Amino acid sequence: MYNHHNDPPSHMETTCGSLLSELQKIWDEVGEPDVERDTMLLELEQECLEAYRRKVDQANRCRAQMRQAVADSEAELAYLCAALGERPVHIRKFEQSTASLKKELELITPQLDEMRKRKNERRRQFVEILDQIHNISKELCRSTEDNLFTMAIDESDLSLKQLEELQRQSVTLQKEKGDRLKQVLDHLNTLESLCLVLGTDFKHTVSEIHPTLDGSSSTKNISVDTIERLAAAICSLKEVKIQRMQRLQDLATTMVELWCLMDTPIQEQQKFQNVTQNIGASEDEISEPNILSLEFINFAEAEVLRLQQIKSSKIKEVLLKKKLDLEELCRTAHMVAKAHAQDYSVEAVECGALDPSYLLEQIELQISKVKEEAFSRTDILEKIEKWLAACEEECWLEEYNRDDNRYNAGRGTHLILKRAEKARALVNKIPAMVETLTAKARTWEKERGVEFSYDGVRLLSMLEQYSVLKQEKEQERQRQRDQKRLQGLLIAEQEALFGSKPSPTKSGKKVSRPSMGGSYNNRFSLGGAMLQIANAEKIGHSSSILKKSNRVKQQTFQNQSLSSAKRNLDATGLAGKQHSFNSSNTQEIKSAPLRKPLSPVSSALLSNVNIQNGIRTEHEPLKRTPPNSKTPEATPTKEISVVDEEISTPRTMPIPMPPTPSTVSVAMQTAMTPATPCFPLGEDIEFSFEESRFGFVLPKTNLKPLD
Amino acid sequence: MTAVPQVAGQELESPPSDGISNLRFSNHSDHLLVSSWDKSVRLYDASANLLRGEFMHGGPVLDCCFHDDSSGFSASADNTVRRLVFNYGREDILGRHDAPVRCIEYSYATGQVITGSWDKTLKCWDPRGANGPDRSLVGTYTQPERVYSLSLVGNRLVVATAGRHVNVYDLRNMSQPEQRRESSLKYQTRCVRCYPNGTGYALSSVEGRVAMEFFDVSEAGQAKKYAFKCHRKSEAGRDIVYPVNAIAFHPIYGTFATGGCDGYVNVWDGNNKKRLYQYSKYPTSVAALSFSRDGRLLAVASSYTYEEGDKPHEPDGIFVRSVNEVEVKPKPKAYPNPTT
Repeated sequence: MYNHHNDPPSHMETTCGSLLSELQKIWDEVGEPDVERDTMLLELEQECLEAYRRKVDQANRCRAQMRQAVADSEAELAYLCAALGERPVHIRKFEQSTASLKKELELITPQLDEMRKRKNERRRQFVEILDQIHNISKELCRSTEDNLFTMAIDESDLSLKQLEELQRQSVTLQKEKGDRLKQVLDHLNTLESLCLVLGTDFKHTVSEIHPTLDGSSSTKNISVDTIERLAAAICSLKEVKIQRMQRLQDLATTMVELWCLMDTPIQEQQKFQNVTQNIGASEDEISEPNILSLEFINFAEAEVLRLQQIKSSKIKEVLLKKKLDLEELCRTAHMVAKAHAQDYSVEAVECGALDPSYLLEQIELQISKVKEEAFSRTDILEKIEKWLAACEEECWLEEYNRDDNRYNAGRGTHLILKRAEKARALVNKIPAMVETLTAKARTWEKERGVEFSYDGVRLLSMLEQYSVLKQEKEQERQRQRDQKRLQGLLIAEQEALFGSKPSPTKSGKKVSRPSMGGSYNNRFSLGGAMLQIANAEKIGHSSSILKKSNRVKQQTFQNQSLSSAKRNLDATGLAGKQHSFNSSNTQEIKSAPLRKPLSPVSSALLSNVNIQNGIRTEHEPLKRTPPNSKTPEATPTKEISVVDEEISTPRTMPIPMPPTPSTVSVAMQTAMTPATPCFPLGEDIEFSFEESRFGFVLPKTNLKPLD
Repeated sequence: MTAVPQVAGQELESPPSDGISNLRFSNHSDHLLVSSWDKSVRLYDASANLLRGEFMHGGPVLDCCFHDDSSGFSASADNTVRRLVFNYGREDILGRHDAPVRCIEYSYATGQVITGSWDKTLKCWDPRGANGPDRSLVGTYTQPERVYSLSLVGNRLVVATAGRHVNVYDLRNMSQPEQRRESSLKYQTRCVRCYPNGTGYALSSVEGRVAMEFFDVSEAGQAKKYAFKCHRKSEAGRDIVYPVNAIAFHPIYGTFATGGCDGYVNVWDGNNKKRLYQYSKYPTSVAALSFSRDGRLLAVASSYTYEEGDKPHEPDGIFVRSVNEVEVKPKPKAYPNPTT
């Protein structure tokens, strides 16, 4: 113990020795036994030893701790260096040195701190760059999974090389992103221009592809998928554009054609300049906004439609004009446009059955043909006009000749006399006229091989008819003369019987008007012939007083008149065709000319009419045929023969009523029914209005007449 | 009647809602009986312009007539013949035909009801008989065709049928017609009416014509008959001919009015063969006419008669006009007619 501590122990020894000597003195004085003294001293010695031992242990532990700390620091330092990829420069530098542990620790601690700082710095850099990569990858829509290994920072490898590697990666990704963005922008530009041209909503189109693309958000989606969709949209829009362009160009072509056709004024054309200017443009050249929009195409379409309508109406106009020309030509040449009546109808053009231009051509051809024919007819036509004029004069003359007062002097009579004179001269020329006309028409027909028709009637037949009529008239005249003679005879007889002389043929004078129908405009009228019958009968009736003596002659008259009636029936039929009957029961009936105002119902006339009627309508039920078969049973008088009855009835002549002022009273139009065609109300059975309204139908069994 | 006379006469209020088939004045008052296609028979007081009563039937009513002032008869298209008692609003069925009953007349001379039907028969009924067709039916008389019109004067009955047949009966001997005739007009008979003096009848056809006939079958008698044209319109040289639906004789003067589908009513003097008057045009066809008992009133049924089928037409109306004597009084002839 003392060996170790030289000075202090000596010092301590001193203190301890002084203390001990002090203790000795105390003990001496106290008189402590020696044993006690010894024990005390041993105790003292042991306590000191224990204190020493404790201190040594403590120091030993402290040294071990320090060594451990140095080793730890060194290990960490080495690890960090390795992680950062740096060389562990100073490690084990102090290994052999004898420097104390504390010094060693002091030396290593700052180095370690420095290294730690650097590591943290490096780690931050890694995190940054990895974030970058991650973000870009995400934007590119790469699956981040394959990059996941980079996502967790490898703590053991934070070397610069690794960092550079990552940076490189980041740069490539950034470049790729830039490329993508450029591509997207390109696509968007194309799309925008297309939309502009097509007039569609760009934003809408784009936001349909991806909502980020419409420019409202700062970043745009640039995934492959988006790009693909953009490309597809562009493709489809382009297709639409091409379609529309072709449509528009078609329309423009049509429009220009129509303009040329119709000489549309420039001002009107200007409005559609933008339609037509793109006629020859290729797809890329069309870039004007809205030029291919649906509205614009519709607008152009409407214009084309309008122009087409105008065109068709103009064509119609021209067609109609030509048609009118043709008809006018035919009319002036008195031709019937029957053959030319090929269907030039506008309707046919409208429904597209006929090509209008072809139709125009045809009609032109017709016109030239008709013109040519008309020219060849002029000569004959002139002659016909003359002849017709002569016929009219003839007619007038006849009328005039019948006028008993013609020689009464009055105002203008001299003029009429002059006219009559002229007319007589003209009438004398008629036969010659007819002859030349016939010859001319014959040669014309021979030349041409077609019939010469005048207003649809063959001229030759007209002439023939005229001659026949003339002949008939002649015969009629002859007969009249005979009758007059006979009448004279009768009157004479009557005079012998009754001693008085009835006024001669009072009615006959007025009625005898054998009209010739000189004008061919009423060549179907039968007034003259009708009156003739009436006349014949009247004479017959007036003579019936002496029927016994004249029975035979009478009958011949009857027969004659009836036969002449029949002859005229054909004419009646024709005249009947001119009538039109309403589907209803109201009828339009041509009033027979020159009817006497008040003639009683004569059964003779009735029978006459009924005969005509029977011939006209054969489908009438039998029971409606002439009443001759029934009259005997209906009239209980003892008249037996039909002829007798017919003769007997209208013995007296009606006296014409003096005209009364119509405001007060009007004479009845009492005249016998002319040969008006009958109208059965049903097919065979007639029905009254009430029956048809009620829908009353006869039962089948009742159809047979009940008599 | 009113202070301001209307041109067409006074129009009765609440007219039938469908076509008017006939109207008749009572022989005792100014009551007017009207039958209509609206299945009703109405009784009006013409002078008071009042609807007095209405009877509904099973079908359109084609004709009606008075019995006395308090009852009447109707002919319906549901084949029935009915007796109508106005005061009690009562109606009994007198009997039935086999087809719609077209016309009906009451004979004061025999006290019988005479009906004509489209079943081609004429039937006489005794309205006093107890209810039941077997008791009231007096007789059935076959006609050559469907009966279109009937007219009575005294004991004479004139029956006009389809096919232009005309049968003249003596009511005292209905076993067979006194005369069988054919209409002297060529077209379907619309209406037949006897002269009030009982010497003959007027017959109108669908073709604007009226025949004046005489019962006297002697030569002299038949010589007087004649026919005349009326209810026609001349347009552009063509005559439009209208059916003559109605004839009504003036009870005092014997002149007569005709009504046609042209909407006109003409008054004629048959003896002098003159038209006396033409009233202003009515809105549509004149379907029926009737003079009141003293001839001072003329009832005109302006009602479309379906001559042109079902088509839009003017509403049906009944006009009652007071008759001026000038309009109906015959005028002496300027010259004597040697024929008559």
